[in-house]
Amino acid sequence: MIRLVPRTQFGFWPTVFPLLIALVLTIVVGFVVMLAMSEKPLSDIWTLLTFPWQARTASVQWGFVLQKTSYLAVIAVGLSIGFRANVWNIGAEGQFAFGSIAAFAGYLICGMPDTVWFLPVMLAFGVLGGVLWALIPAALRVIANTNELLVSLMLVYVAANVLNYVTTGPWKGDPKAGQAESDPIHHSLQIVSIIERTDFHWGVVISGGAILVLAFIVLFTIFGYSLRVAQNTPRAQRFAGFSPNMTIWLSFIISGAMAGLGGAVYLSAETGKLIQSENYLNGLGFTAIVIAFLGRLHPIGIVAAAFLISYVNVGATYVQSASGVDDAVADLVQVTALFAVLGTAFLARYRVVFGTQALLSERTAS
Amino acid sequence: MTGLLSLQSITKAYPGVLANDAVDFDVQPGEIHALLGENGAGKSTLMKVLSGQTKPDGGRIVWKDDETSIASPQASKALGIGMVHQHFALFDGMSVGENVALGLGHEFDATQRDRIRAMSEKYGLPLNPDALVFTLSAGEKQRIEIVRALLGDPQLLILDEPTSVLTPQEADALFATLRLLRDEGRGLVFISHKLNEVRALCDRATILRGGKVVATCVPAEKSAEEIAEMMIGTRPVPTRKAKQKIGDLALSVSGLNSGDVRIPALEVRGGEIVGVAGVAGNGQEALYAVLSGETLAPDAGTINVHGQPVGRLGPGERRLLGAAFVPEERLGHAAVPDFSLIDNTLLSNIQTEGFQRRGLVDWNRTREHSEEICEAYDVRHAGVTGRASSLSGGNLQKFIVGRELIKNPSVLVVNQPTWGVDMGSATNIRDRLKALAEAGSAVLVISQDLDELFDLADRLCVLNHGALSDTRPTADWTAETLGVAMTGDADSPDAASQTEERAA
Repeated sequence: MIRLVPRTQFGFWPTVFPLLIALVLTIVVGFVVMLAMSEKPLSDIWTLLTFPWQARTASVQWGFVLQKTSYLAVIAVGLSIGFRANVWNIGAEGQFAFGSIAAFAGYLICGMPDTVWFLPVMLAFGVLGGVLWALIPAALRVIANTNELLVSLMLVYVAANVLNYVTTGPWKGDPKAGQAESDPIHHSLQIVSIIERTDFHWGVVISGGAILVLAFIVLFTIFGYSLRVAQNTPRAQRFAGFSPNMTIWLSFIISGAMAGLGGAVYLSAETGKLIQSENYLNGLGFTAIVIAFLGRLHPIGIVAAAFLISYVNVGATYVQSASGVDDAVADLVQVTALFAVLGTAFLARYRVVFGTQALLSERTAS
Repeated sequence: MTGLLSLQSITKAYPGVLANDAVDFDVQPGEIHALLGENGAGKSTLMKVLSGQTKPDGGRIVWKDDETSIASPQASKALGIGMVHQHFALFDGMSVGENVALGLGHEFDATQRDRIRAMSEKYGLPLNPDALVFTLSAGEKQRIEIVRALLGDPQLLILDEPTSVLTPQEADALFATLRLLRDEGRGLVFISHKLNEVRALCDRATILRGGKVVATCVPAEKSAEEIAEMMIGTRPVPTRKAKQKIGDLALSVSGLNSGDVRIPALEVRGGEIVGVAGVAGNGQEALYAVLSGETLAPDAGTINVHGQPVGRLGPGERRLLGAAFVPEERLGHAAVPDFSLIDNTLLSNIQTEGFQRRGLVDWNRTREHSEEICEAYDVRHAGVTGRASSLSGGNLQKFIVGRELIKNPSVLVVNQPTWGVDMGSATNIRDRLKALAEAGSAVLVISQDLDELFDLADRLCVLNHGALSDTRPTADWTAETLGVAMTGDADSPDAASQTEERAA
């Protein structure tokens, strides 16, 4: 006999235990997928797990992983604020794009400065752009009670088209380039690597700092507490005296700011210029939604999830180039992880008991 | 003699507790049998045995002269035992009819709709089969449960505190229903804390204390005090001493019309308890919401706390003026079910000094405070890190009320302070409310339990179809005049004056 018994206490173990099960499930499924897709599965799995040491320079591979982790984590932590309060901003991709556009606009407005001291201002423009773009669904939700999920999603495509417009219209750069793109920003404004010839750059540190600040807010402040209340029971939120509308505004402002920061860093560190949307946006804002839930909306969990998923992604790319296994395996792993994490979430709330143990616990529960 | 059902020497042990100790209990056809006892006396265990939710360790179950065992809730149902639970098992998003049909394993169609209509009319339990459950009051939800049980055509019907959310008139109607069922030859088990109801309705009463049967009696032949003494072992504390003087105006409402609730005038002074009587679903929620600030009044000046207009202020700002609020729903409104008691302590203390500094929560202070509340208000719990939902109803209510009382608020608005709470906790909570008023605070109690209001309130008013009547001294009301005022036709323009005439 198997029974589910509600837990009366929270703790470290009930939270971590289901995640470990999810991890094992993901590894097992990933294993099976590799068996099916690869001609020499064992060596490919080994390569996937240990690719940084297999590669010519480990630091380059770690750079890729950390770079990707930082973008995913900074956006996902921002999104988790709203998700905690049942505010559904799934348009981070658009806010990311608008962060890039606004950062570039700020650069132009300020007369194309050529000093690194302008970088914080440019990033601030990016944050502002992300916030402004996020305020549209927030305002429509508060004023007209529209569904913020749909509006924020639609605005992704609007933002992508704005990006296409500026790169083909007013800010069009080199006409001989193979894609629509703007002129590059001055090289002094391009974020440099911390370790030579890797993608581990100062942008990773900036994102990390932003994540720390936000994690502190979520875990230790009254505002963080209000989000937890809103996530669980909207009526208790009113009882406590928190304004539901304020929660919506702040959720969008924060998630927009984080995505906007990501977009500005991306502009400065990766491309140095705006490019037409297909070649500029690569779904970070959408993957971040998955990351937020993989991390159980907890800042530490999100950073860990972002790291793991980035590791598998970069690893899959490496395996593809090394032995020709399609790197779609990374997507499969990501989806499996999401199913496993969501599917085992109930274990944090219930204990599973078997056999005679079940009868005993039935007695104590009654 | 076995009759319809006979439980013989039922014993059930849980680790550390003998919940039922050789309990004998029988029900005859055509009998309403009361099962009395405080929480923890063993009533629930006995009913779980009957409903097939648990198996006894020892003893015999005899159903119509045949020894049987009840292995599952389905087996219990198949025997002909129906159960009306105290806590509703309803899907909020579905209609009344769909909920009823689901319980019976049918599709909800026109036939079912007619059956529900017919059943609800026959037994005086008005229900609209197409209404969505979440729009209904607690009283209406209770009716669904009763109709659902009756549609199963049970020969033995168990009702677990069915009147806890009903008004006297609704309860009377229910009693008529129950008598009708009795006269049809069914057996009924009636569990209640309200001794007057038991005395009026039940043919026999079995009283449990500490898992044992302490007495079986004909309740009409005993006084409520005598029965209560058998239940709890000591006499209930007599009502409080004479009224001391009334203080300044603390809470006043005038000319308020929020759509859902209309309050021409309401004044509560320091040192007094004002009660708001009313049938479930007549605007109690809206009244509570507008007084607590969870919904805002159209004009600031219509609600005043200590002379300050608060109509446009939220709950937090009203708390800063010394007000405190206790909503009806324990889980999901007054407390977050999945939060620890520590987290829940913060819920109504966001603005209280000492719990936060520049937006940072002082969790040590909050934890200490949660322990202080549990200590001072006798909340029995397994640790303040435990979830609110793991506490019993009575203990959680003591925690929720204690969380507000420990602040010594000068104005307290409380909605249904003892709904679904065991007798010991209810008495405890009422005594605390009296003590608060005696210390000089203004207390407004919204309740559907008239015994409670007569016990607590110095003055009473009535909420009927969202309109609040004049307030009169409690001594000027009787249960009858109140009942009339609560059920009068409030939509007619001179309803208020009618109410006054009847009351006078």
